[in-house]
Amino acid sequence: MAEVRVEHVTKTFGDFRALDDVTMDFPDGGFFGLLGPSGSGKTTLLRAIAGFLFLDAGRIRIGADWVEDVPVEKREIGMMFQSYALFPNMTVADNVGFGLRVRRVGAAEERRRIGEALDLVRLGDFGDRKPHQLSGGQRQRVALARAIVTNPRVLLLDEPLSALDKALRVDMQIELKRIQREIGITTIFVTHDQEEALALSDKIGILKDGRMIQAGPPREVYRNPIDIFAAEFLGEANILRRPGGTLPSSGVIHLPVTATDASALAVRPENMTLSATEPVAEGLSKMSGILAQRVFSGALGICLVERDGTVVKVIARDEDIPDIAEGDTVWISWKPEHTIVIPGG
Amino acid sequence: MNGRVLTIAGRIWLGAILVFLYAPILIMALMSFNASPFYQLPFEFSTRWYQALGANAEIREAALRSVLIALVTTTIATVLGTAASIALFRYEFPGKRALRILLFPPIAIPWLITGTAMLIFFFGIGMGRGTPAVIIGHVALALPYVIVVVSARLATFDATLEDAARALGAGPWMVTRRVTLPWIAPGIIAGALFAFAVSFDQFVVSYFLSEPGDATLPVLIYTAIRKGFTPEINAVSTIIIVVSMLVMLIAARYSKFGGER
Amino acid sequence: MSAALAPRDRLRLLGLLTPAYLWLTVAIFLPLSAMLFFSLLSDVPFGDAPWHVTADNYLAFFQTTTYAKLLWKSIKLGLMVTLACVLVGYPCAYVLAKTIRGRAREALFLLVILPFWSNSLVRIFSWAIVLRGNGVLEVGLNAILPFEVDVNLMFSTPAIVIGLVHSYLPYVILTSYLALQAIDDSLIDAGRSMGAGKLTILRRIVLPLSLPGLVAGAVLVFVPVVGSFMEPRILGGRVGTYYGTVIEDQFVAVFNWPLGAALSFILLAVVLLILAVASPVLRRAQA
Repeated sequence: MAEVRVEHVTKTFGDFRALDDVTMDFPDGGFFGLLGPSGSGKTTLLRAIAGFLFLDAGRIRIGADWVEDVPVEKREIGMMFQSYALFPNMTVADNVGFGLRVRRVGAAEERRRIGEALDLVRLGDFGDRKPHQLSGGQRQRVALARAIVTNPRVLLLDEPLSALDKALRVDMQIELKRIQREIGITTIFVTHDQEEALALSDKIGILKDGRMIQAGPPREVYRNPIDIFAAEFLGEANILRRPGGTLPSSGVIHLPVTATDASALAVRPENMTLSATEPVAEGLSKMSGILAQRVFSGALGICLVERDGTVVKVIARDEDIPDIAEGDTVWISWKPEHTIVIPGG
Repeated sequence: MNGRVLTIAGRIWLGAILVFLYAPILIMALMSFNASPFYQLPFEFSTRWYQALGANAEIREAALRSVLIALVTTTIATVLGTAASIALFRYEFPGKRALRILLFPPIAIPWLITGTAMLIFFFGIGMGRGTPAVIIGHVALALPYVIVVVSARLATFDATLEDAARALGAGPWMVTRRVTLPWIAPGIIAGALFAFAVSFDQFVVSYFLSEPGDATLPVLIYTAIRKGFTPEINAVSTIIIVVSMLVMLIAARYSKFGGER
Repeated sequence: MSAALAPRDRLRLLGLLTPAYLWLTVAIFLPLSAMLFFSLLSDVPFGDAPWHVTADNYLAFFQTTTYAKLLWKSIKLGLMVTLACVLVGYPCAYVLAKTIRGRAREALFLLVILPFWSNSLVRIFSWAIVLRGNGVLEVGLNAILPFEVDVNLMFSTPAIVIGLVHSYLPYVILTSYLALQAIDDSLIDAGRSMGAGKLTILRRIVLPLSLPGLVAGAVLVFVPVVGSFMEPRILGGRVGTYYGTVIEDQFVAVFNWPLGAALSFILLAVVLLILAVASPVLRRAQA
C-alpha cells in the first residue's frame, strides 16, 4: 500500500500533447477517479503510472520510489483492463495465480492466496473454470482478483465497469468499494461515467486536453467548479452569465459577493424551482421564461425554459412541478447561495 | 437469364475444373500401378515399380535428403519467422511498413532469378553449391510464408493480454512463453507445415544450388525425365504428391484458409 | 498496446527481427546485388581468365534479335496463361464464393487448393503422361469418338500452356475467392432491391470490388510463368525454347554466367515494370 504522486508529467505523441504538465497526489489507501472526455489524457495518465509508457518530462513516485524509469513489470502494481484481458488458455485459478507464479511464491502459498483472492470477490468455487465459461460480471471479478492477489502497492483500473450493463454496474460499484475498503489499497481508476466517479471516489481529477483542470473531493469539485468546463462536465449547469457578459434582464438575480466582472455565474438545474406565477418570497433570485418542453422521467421531471434566446434546464421532483403547459410563461427561482461563482470563467 | 440455369451451369463448370485439376494426378497414380513399363494400356495391376523403387538407392537417398533438408529448413524458418512476426506485432517503430514489403521479393521475383543469383553469390563468397547452399536458399524462400501465416494468427491476438501479463510482473520472455505462444501455436504449426511443403517441393532453387551427385528428389526427377522416363519415377511421384497433399491438409486444419470463421 | 521504445526494448526488437532479415539479406538481397555486379563483367572472376567491367552483356541483348524475340515469346506465354487462368478461374471462384455455402464450400475450397501444394514438377510430369502419343488422352478419345484421332500433344505449345495453366490456376482461384468472399452479401442484396439483374450486379458491383484479388492472382501467375523453364523443357521439347530456358542454359550448359545475369536482370526489370503498373490496383487489395 503506497501513496502515488505524479509531478509535472508531460507526454506527447508526435504533435499531440496527451499530457501537459499534470501534477496530482493520490494519498495512501484512497479511491481516486480520473474523469474527462475522450482524448483528455486520463487513460494516458493511468498507463503512465502503470509504466506502459515513458514520459517526456516529469516524475512519478509510488511509495518512496521514483519510478518513471522503471518498466511496468517491476513497478509492483495491479491493473485491471477494460476488456479484462483474462488469459483464454488458462483456468480461473491459473489466471489469478499468474502473478504469483512469476514471483515464484511456491505451490502451497500460491494455492492459499488464490483461494483468498477468489473468496474476496465471491468466486470461491470457480477456480477450475475457463474464462469463456464465465459471464461478464464474473470475468470482471476474476480480473480484479488477479490484480490484487500479488499485494500490489497501487491498483489501477481502466474503465473497469464500462462493459457491464446498468444494473450489474451499480452492483459492481458497491463490490469494488467494499473490497477496496477491506484491503485498503490505493486505487486509481479511469472512467467517463461521472456518476460512477462521484459515487466511488474519495477524490476526483478532471482532465481535459491533457491538463488537470481540477482535483479534489467530489462534493468540493461539484459545488465549486473552477471553470465552465468543470461546471458543465460534472453534473449539469445553467450558465447565467459568461465572463464579461450580462445577466438576463427580466427578473431579479442576487449576485454573490465574490462575483467579479471576470467570473461566470451558473446554477445547477436541481437547485431551481419552477412556478406558474412570480414567487413572492424574500431574497430569492428569480427570472421568467416560456416553457419550451417538459419531459417526464419517472421520479423527476425535466423542464426546458426558453428566455433571451437561451435554454434553461430545471430538474425537480415531478410532483413539485406545477400544472403548466408548453408555451406558458413560467418563473424559475432559486436561493442565492446556490449561484455558483466560477472564477475567471 | 434464368438464375437456376446459371447456378447449375456454374456448378458444372466448377466440377469440370476439379476434374481438370485432379485428372492428370489420378492418372499418374493409376499408371504407377500399371505393369507396363511404357504406360501402354490395357491396364495390368502391379506393384513392381514400387518394389523397384525400394531397391533404387539413388532415389531413396535423394528422398531422404529432401526430407532432411525440409526438416532443417522448417526448423530454422519457423523459429526465425515466428520471432520476426512477434517483433512486428509487438513494437512500433519507423520503417515497419518497409520491412513488411521486403518480404515480397522472394515470392515476387521469379525463382529462376533468385536461384541463379544465389548461385552467383555463393560461388562468389567461396561457398559454392551443395546442401548448405540449398538449405540457405530454402529457408529464404520459406521465411515470407511463415511470417505471413504467423502474422495472420497474431492479428487475432489481443495485445492487452501481453500488457496484463507485464502488469503482473512477467518479463518479455515469460510473456511470450506463457501468453503469446500458446495462442499463436496453431499459426506456428501451419507456418511450419507451409515451410516444409515449400522446401520439399522446391525445384528451381534446388536445381541451381544442388551438387550434381547430391541432388534433392525433385531435381533428380527432372534430370531423369530429361533423359527418358523410368516408371519408378511415376511411383515416387505418386508418393510425393500424396505426402505433400497430406501435409497441406493438416496445415489447413491449423490455419484457416478462406478467411472464414 | 505498443511499448515505448526504451533502450532495452530496442535491443529485444533487434534480437527478434535481425535473424530473419539478416538471412533474407544474405540469401536474397546480397545475391541480387552480386548478380547485378556479375552482369557487368566480361568473364566469371573465379577462373584464370582476366576479366573487366563491361556493358557487353547488356548490349548483347540488343545486338541480335534472338533474345528480344525470346523475351517477347515468354511474355506472350505469360499473357496467354494468365488470361486462360483468369477466364477459367474467376468463374470458379465466383461459384464457390457466392453460390455454395457451409461445409461444402470449405471442403470444395480445400479440394481446389490442394493440388496447388503438391510438387509442381511431378504434376507437369503427370501431364506428360496424359498428353503423349499413345497416352491416356489419345487412347481415351479414341475409345469415345467413332473415328480415329491421332492426338499427340506432347512437345507443343498447347501442351506447355495446358501444363502451366494447371499449375497456376489455383493462384487465381485462391485470390479471387478471398476477394469475392469478403464482399458483403448485403451489397448484392441492395443491388437486387434496386432492380438489377444478375449480370448487371456482376458487372457493376461484384467485379469492381473483387478486381484487386483477381489482379493479385494474375500477377502471381504472370511473374513466374514469364521466367519458367522447367515446364517448357519437359512439355515443349524442341519447341520449348523460351527466355527462361536460355537463362538456364547460361548457368548449366554454356557457363556464361555474366550473360545469364544480364539477361536475368533485364527480365527482372520487365517484371518490376509490370508490377509497378499493376500496383495501384493491388494497393486497394491491401485495404
